[in-house]
Amino acid sequence: MRDVYVAGIGITTFTRLEFALSEIASYASMMALKDAGITEVDQVYVANMGSPRVNHQTALASAVVDSLSLTPAGAAAIENGPASGGSAIKAGFQAVASGMEDVVLVAGVERMREVNGLEATDFVATLTHPIAEYIYGVTLPAHAAMFTRLYMDKYGVTERHLAMVGVKNQNAALNNEWAHLQQEISLEGILDSPEAMTNNPYVAEPLRFFDACPVSDGGAAVILVSEEKAKELGRPMIKISGVGQATDTHAVHEREEPTDLLAVRKAAADAFAMAGKTPDDVDVAELHDAFTILEIVESEEVGFFPKGEGHIALEKGETALGGKIPINVGGGLKGRGHPVGATGVAQAWEIVTQLRGDGEARQVEDANVGFTCNFGGFGNNVVCLVFEKEA
Amino acid sequence: MAREIYAYKCRLCDTMHYPFRMVCKNCKQNDFFEFDTVPLPKKGNLLTFTRVYNLPAQYEVATLGLGIVELENGMRMLGQLDIDEPKAGMAVEGSVEVVRQETYDDYYGMVFRSA
Amino acid sequence: MSVDLEKILRPVDSPMAPYEPKYMLLASGEAAVVRAVDRDEIPDLLKHVEPLLHVERDYYDVVASRVYAELLSHYQYRFQDQYVLAVQVDGELAAIVNGRQVSPKLGLSLHTLALRRGLRIGAHAFAAKMEYHFDALGHEEVLIVAESPIGFRRWMIEYKLEKRFDIPHELGGVPSWALTRELFDAARGSLVVGRRPVPPEILDKAMEAILPPSDPPTPALDPLAATRSKYDPTATALMVERWAMEEGLQDA
Repeated sequence: MRDVYVAGIGITTFTRLEFALSEIASYASMMALKDAGITEVDQVYVANMGSPRVNHQTALASAVVDSLSLTPAGAAAIENGPASGGSAIKAGFQAVASGMEDVVLVAGVERMREVNGLEATDFVATLTHPIAEYIYGVTLPAHAAMFTRLYMDKYGVTERHLAMVGVKNQNAALNNEWAHLQQEISLEGILDSPEAMTNNPYVAEPLRFFDACPVSDGGAAVILVSEEKAKELGRPMIKISGVGQATDTHAVHEREEPTDLLAVRKAAADAFAMAGKTPDDVDVAELHDAFTILEIVESEEVGFFPKGEGHIALEKGETALGGKIPINVGGGLKGRGHPVGATGVAQAWEIVTQLRGDGEARQVEDANVGFTCNFGGFGNNVVCLVFEKEA
Repeated sequence: MAREIYAYKCRLCDTMHYPFRMVCKNCKQNDFFEFDTVPLPKKGNLLTFTRVYNLPAQYEVATLGLGIVELENGMRMLGQLDIDEPKAGMAVEGSVEVVRQETYDDYYGMVFRSA
Repeated sequence: MSVDLEKILRPVDSPMAPYEPKYMLLASGEAAVVRAVDRDEIPDLLKHVEPLLHVERDYYDVVASRVYAELLSHYQYRFQDQYVLAVQVDGELAAIVNGRQVSPKLGLSLHTLALRRGLRIGAHAFAAKMEYHFDALGHEEVLIVAESPIGFRRWMIEYKLEKRFDIPHELGGVPSWALTRELFDAARGSLVVGRRPVPPEILDKAMEAILPPSDPPTPALDPLAATRSKYDPTATALMVERWAMEEGLQDA
């Protein structure tokens, strides 16, 4: 198995974009191609969840490869719910690591705001089990809310801890020009004041408005290359040293232990094992905070903190910029936005930016090892990646 | 006659499944559809719950109560809750009713009430 | 014998209790003031409503055009018993709400126009408006309709409004919904917030002038972008429009 490097990255603003889906993917891809200094690739993977349903477009990768004038390169779209980005990077990794391809473009894109919020909620809900979950009107926030209630009862996580994650991440986004939300919020405004119930109403009890990520459009792209090609291009040598993926039961009620996210645990362990690293080696991490509770739980399941103590570490400031393990310093999904198919690639974009030292106001000092966790379904399909900077 | 929600029992090793899956999660040796249907018990205890305010387009109610129930036989299922103040651990009893309507179609599922 | 036409054309406003200003803390920690707007301040509002006529998404163009008409006719004394409230954050205009009195016991909600987004200011403004109808004006019922699906869900479903479909609402003649005093009292605890009186320095800033919003909704890059992109996912029409626009500008 060969080593795989990230030679180029690109991203669009995450917001409401009035451009066609393939154009959004192409914009981020062009940026990445120019960053790497190439105009040809061997293979294209496009990560996306909603194009057939929300955007009335199928075979998205065929549209993107032509829009970028990269034909006759092979191209395919990869759909793995919210973990599409991670899965597409894994596919690109496998293509290069196996020796079959030398240069692969991986682009993630989503245009959810082509439909209104109620339709977008329904679209995301289609990833739940059709007969045991979807028909009941379950939504992703509902799953996260039921999980949160269990976590609150078992480990003592409170609404305050959730609000702290929301404030940390939304305000961190102010340091990220590409982030969707550019509005500072305060704990007083969303939790402590008498107006908090109107400012921050329940979305699915006990989760509230500022506990959930916004609905965004956007695209991100990375160029994966072999070691030889990476040296030829002369960009900073950032290696993907670990890839892990694991799945769990489709229906959430069938999970072995209702407060565990076993797929996160295994995917992270596999990624670290492949990289020959431990969670303590990580300098900067991107976790999947579609809901604030998930950042807390993932920080435990991937191994940064003991199970049930993630919220304590949060209280101590260990997960903020400057802390022991900075998490989501670019805003995470909460502040940066969550165009579902693009997120996994955007997480990689942020880590590569950090490892290159281009983080500016949000740069983590001495960032050499980075980690991402891309959470698909409601924890039943997770992809984790480990990145390393080589001298 | 009351409607039922069915679990699926592997004919080889008797392992119960809800929802349905093609390959038995225990022995993995079953032939195509080699399962028996067994009605799920309607009584159980509420494991966790939520009240949903942001509903998908098809729902015209203000809020929706949802919960995961641990049934008498140890299996769990998701259902709608018709309970004003749910509490973790409370005893509930379900009945199969319409849980979703899309245009002209009715979808049936379990609705739990306080037992 | 001369007839003063203006006396005939100008409606006679019924006595309506004044709106007592209040303020609330937003999610950002900033204070928002809700206060009544006098006729002579209407032109200040109009100039901030006008740009929204060209914002095609989220029904801003429909709402802004109707609000513009309501405010202008109110200013010109061609609208009976209308009230206008403004929400300001540090003096900057953040939202406009208006409505009117149909009869001593019946109110009618006109519009809620938010110029600053992401902080649920629209929700605060709507609740403030309903509080005015029931607590200050003494109405027993308020007729309401919604132009956008999000508005529909928020108001019709969350407040559990009653149907009054036999009454066509004056906004487009569509069937009305009603918020009754009973429903409002039930929702009051969770939905109506804010504190009175407003601290003098905050109130003075708001009363001094209506400052322009610093980050209002703006039209998309291309005219008709929202509509076009819905029917033309390839965006070819968008590009053609932009080139046409650029060429037009070059000729000018």
